Amino acid sequence: MLTPPDVALTPMLPILIVLAGAISSTLLGFWVQRRTLTFINIGALLLSGASLTLLWNRGLSAFGGSLNADNAALLLSFVILVGTLMTLLVTLDTAWRARVSFPEFDAMLMYAVTGCLLIAFSGDLIVMLIGLEIMSLSSYVLATLQGSRRAEESGLKYFLLGAAGSAVLIYGLAFVYGATGSLNYAAIAERVGSVQGLLPQNVGILVGGALLVLCGFAFKVALAPFHQWTPDVYGGAPTSVSLFLSTVVKVAAFAGMLRVFSGALADAPGWHSVMQVLIAATLIVGNLAALRQLNFKRMLAYSAVAHTGFLAMALLGTPQAGGAALSYYLLVYTLMTAAALAVVAALQRSEAGFEISDLRGLYFRHPGYAVCLAICLASLAGLPPFAGFFGKYLVFQAAFQNGYVWLSVLAALTSVAALVYYLRPAMLMFMPDRTPAREYAHGQRPATTLAVGLGVAGVTVLGLLPNLWYAWGASPVIWNLLAGR
Amino acid sequence: MTFLDWLPTIMIFLPVLGSLLLLVVPKTFRDEVAGLIAALTLGAGLAIWRGGGSELFRWDWIPPLGITYSVQLSGVSLALALVTAFMSFIAILYAARRIPNPGPMLSLILAMETGLIGIFAAQDLLLFYVFFEDALIPALLMLAMYGKAGRMKALVKFAAYTLFGSLLMLVSIIGVRYLGGSPTFAMVDLKANLVEGPAQTWLYLGFLAAMAVKLPLWPLHAWLPDFHEQNHDSGVPDVMGTLYKVGGYGLFTFGIPLFPDASLELRPILMGLAAFTALYAAWIAFRQTDWKRLLAYAGLSHMGFVALGVFSLNETAVIGAMYLLAFQNLYTGALFLSVGMVQERIGSLETRVGGVMTQAGALSGLTMALWFASIAVPGLAGFIGEFSILLGAYQVSPWLTFIAGITTIAAAAYALTAFQTTFWQARPLGAVGVRDLVHTEWLVLGLPLAVLILFGVYSAPALNLMQPAVRAVLSALGGN
Repeated sequence: MLTPPDVALTPMLPILIVLAGAISSTLLGFWVQRRTLTFINIGALLLSGASLTLLWNRGLSAFGGSLNADNAALLLSFVILVGTLMTLLVTLDTAWRARVSFPEFDAMLMYAVTGCLLIAFSGDLIVMLIGLEIMSLSSYVLATLQGSRRAEESGLKYFLLGAAGSAVLIYGLAFVYGATGSLNYAAIAERVGSVQGLLPQNVGILVGGALLVLCGFAFKVALAPFHQWTPDVYGGAPTSVSLFLSTVVKVAAFAGMLRVFSGALADAPGWHSVMQVLIAATLIVGNLAALRQLNFKRMLAYSAVAHTGFLAMALLGTPQAGGAALSYYLLVYTLMTAAALAVVAALQRSEAGFEISDLRGLYFRHPGYAVCLAICLASLAGLPPFAGFFGKYLVFQAAFQNGYVWLSVLAALTSVAALVYYLRPAMLMFMPDRTPAREYAHGQRPATTLAVGLGVAGVTVLGLLPNLWYAWGASPVIWNLLAGR
Repeated sequence: MTFLDWLPTIMIFLPVLGSLLLLVVPKTFRDEVAGLIAALTLGAGLAIWRGGGSELFRWDWIPPLGITYSVQLSGVSLALALVTAFMSFIAILYAARRIPNPGPMLSLILAMETGLIGIFAAQDLLLFYVFFEDALIPALLMLAMYGKAGRMKALVKFAAYTLFGSLLMLVSIIGVRYLGGSPTFAMVDLKANLVEGPAQTWLYLGFLAAMAVKLPLWPLHAWLPDFHEQNHDSGVPDVMGTLYKVGGYGLFTFGIPLFPDASLELRPILMGLAAFTALYAAWIAFRQTDWKRLLAYAGLSHMGFVALGVFSLNETAVIGAMYLLAFQNLYTGALFLSVGMVQERIGSLETRVGGVMTQAGALSGLTMALWFASIAVPGLAGFIGEFSILLGAYQVSPWLTFIAGITTIAAAAYALTAFQTTFWQARPLGAVGVRDLVHTEWLVLGLPLAVLILFGVYSAPALNLMQPAVRAVLSALGGN
C-alpha cells in the first residue's frame, strides 16, 4: 500500500526563505540592480533568522526524519545566517570594486547558503551530501567569478581539490551505508551503538567508511594535511568571497561533521585517533605557517586553518560538551574573522589584501578601524575579555574532559605562535608612522562599517557575558538529539 | 548586601570606566579627570582598609561553565591592591606632565590598573586568568605606542613568554577543576576538592610556568630587561610593568592552597632556582650601563627574594615575601620615574653621566633615599621584607639562604656604583645645566619615599593586615 510522503514545510521554513531569495535574485537580476537584490537578500536573511525563533524548542522534522529542525540545527543555522549577513553587508561596498558586482554573485551566494542550511538541518547522509554539493558548487563559482588570473587559478584549485574531497566523501558514505544498512543518522547511530551487534567484516567497512568520510570533511574544513588549497583560495579570491568561504562555508562543513561524527558515528571505532593526529598536524602546520606570512590576508587564511584545529577539538569532546562548545566557538569565530576580513576589504588597495607592514600606523589614519581590527585580532588570539577566549577555553575543556590532555597541551603551546602572529600586526597599527597612507582612498563605507561594528560588538559582548549565547546551547539535551535519538 | 561588599567591585572597574571616559573628555580636562579617577580608586581602597577588608562577594557569572565572579580584598590582596592604586596615581601624576599628548597613555594606565586590581581581588581561578591576561593588553599597547626603536622584538618576546606560561596555566586550571571534581572555579570549591597524587604535581608545573614567567624566575626572565629598556623614557610604562610582576602573589594565593603536596615536594628545587635568580640578577645588574636595564635586573633580583620567601613555605618568610612584593613596587616604580626625570634633563640613560648632584640636589637626594630602600637599609620598608625572608628561609634551608644573602652585598655594590658615577663625580665640561625638581615632581618621588619610611619604621599596620591571610594560606599545608 502506498503511504503519502511525510512532507512538512514548516520545519523547512528557514531554508525555503533563503531559497526564495536565491531564486528571486536569479530572476529579478534581469531587471533590477544588484544593490537592490542585496537588500532583498538581507531581508530574506532577517526573515529566515526570525523563522528560526519560531521553530525553537519544537523539535519538528520532515521527510521521515531526513530533515530535522531540532535546536542544534537552529543554533548552527543562526551562525550561518550571521556570517552571510556580514558578507552581504561587505559586498554592498566592495563588490563593485572587486568586479563581482553582478546579480549572479548574489544568486550564487544565496544558493550556497541554502546548501549550508540543508547541512545543518540534515537528518540523513543523503540530505547532508546534497547540501554539501549545493554549497560546494556555488562556492567554486563564487571563487572564480572575478575575471582575474588569480581568481581563476584559485577557483580551479578549489574546484579540483574540492571535487576530489567530495569523491572521497561519497565513497566513505557508501561504505558507511554498506556497514550499517542505513543512511539515516538515527539508524546508523543505533547500529553503531553496539559494535558487537555488527558482523565482524562490517566493522572493518565501518571503520574504513568513517575514515573516508573524515578525509572528505577534512578537505572541506581544511584540516591538515588536506588544507593546502585554503591559503591560495582565500588569498586569491576577492576578499568578500574569502570572508564567505572562511566563515559560512566552514561553519556549514563543521555542522555536517558535528552531525556525522558526534551524532551518527559517535560510537564508531577508529576515527578518534586519526582525528587526533589530524588536529595535531593542523595546529602545528596552521600556526607555524601563519607565523611566516608577510601578506595580511594570507596570514588570516592560515589563521583560519589554525582555527580549524581548535574547532575540530570540540568534536573530540563528548557530544554534549563538544556540541555546546562548537556552537559557541563557531559564532565567535564567524564574528571575529568576518569583521577582520571586512576591515581588509574596506581598506585594501587591491584584492590581494595588504602586507602586514602596511598596517603600521593605521591607528593614526583610521582610528576606528584600527581599534576594531585590534579587538578582532585579540579575540582571534584568545585574549580575554573578548569572546575568542571563551571559545578557546570551551574547546580546551571539552577535549580535556574527554581525556585528550596531550592535545590540549599541544593546542596551548601552538597558541603561543598564534599570539605572536596576531599581536604583531595588532601592535604595528599603534606605532607612529610618517609614510603616506597605503589604504584605498575611499575606504570607509557605512555598510562595511556596520558589519565591522556588528562583529566587534558581538565579540565584546559575548566575551563579557558569554551566557547570552552559550545558555542557548548549554543544555546537553540538544546535543543528545544530534543523531535524532 | 552592604556598601562595603560593593567596594571591591567599584575599585576594580572604576579605572577602566575612567579610561573609556577619557576618550570623550575634552583635552583640557583630561589630566584632571584621569587623576581624579585614580585618586577615587585609591580612596575606595583606603575605605576598604578602614572597614577591615571586604567579605567575599560572589555572583554566578557563567553558570553552565561554573565560572563565578568572586572577589575579595582583604589581607595580602588588599595591601597589593592599595599599592597598585597608589603607584597608578603617581604614574598618572607624572605622565600628565611629562608625556606630550598623554591621552592614550593615561587611558592605558587606568585600563591596566583595572586588570591589576582584578588580579589581586579575584577569588575564582578563571576570573583570575581573565584579569591576568587583561592586564597584558594595555602593557603591550604602551610598549607599542610609546616604545623605542627595538620595541617590536621586545614586544614579541614579552608576549610570547607571558602567553606561553599562561596558556599552560589555562590547561592546568581546567585540570584542577575536572580532576578534582569541583562544581565551580571559585577558590572555596576548589579548596574543598583538591587534586591528589602525581596529577597535582603536573598541574602545579603548568601553573608554575605562568607564575615563573611573571615573577620572573630564571631561566624564564629573558623578556624583562628588553621590556624595560624599550619602554618610554619617562619610566611611566615601567611603573606599570613593575606592578605587573604578580607571579609571587599568584603562587601564594593559588599555588600553595591548591597544590600543597606539590609545593612541598618541589620546595628544594624551587628555592634553589629562586636563590640563584637573586644572585645571578644582582651580578648582571652590576655590569649594566643603562639605568633601565640596571633597574630591571635589580627588580629581578628582588623577585628572586620574593620567590625564595614564597617557596620556603615558612610563615615568617612568606610574610616577608608579600611585604617585599608590595613595597618593591613602590621603590622600583619610583626609581624608574626618577630615571625618567634624569633622562628628561640630560637626554641619556647612561649610568656614567657624572655630577648631577651638583645642580639637582633634591632629585639626587630623593633618588639616593629610594636606592637605600631598594638595597634594604634598615629604617626603610625594603629592609623588613628582605630580613623576614632571610630569617624565615634560613630555618628551611640555611645554605640557599646564605647564597641569597650574598645578594644584599651585591645590591649595595651595583646600586652605589651606578649612583656614584651618575650623581657624584665631576660634571663633564660643557654639559647642559640640570634643573632640579619642579612642582608635581616633588610629589612623584616624595610620596612613595614617605610611605617607604613610614612602613619601614612602623610596620605594624601592614603586618597586621598580612599575617592572618598568610596563616590561613599556610594552614593548607597541614602544620608544616
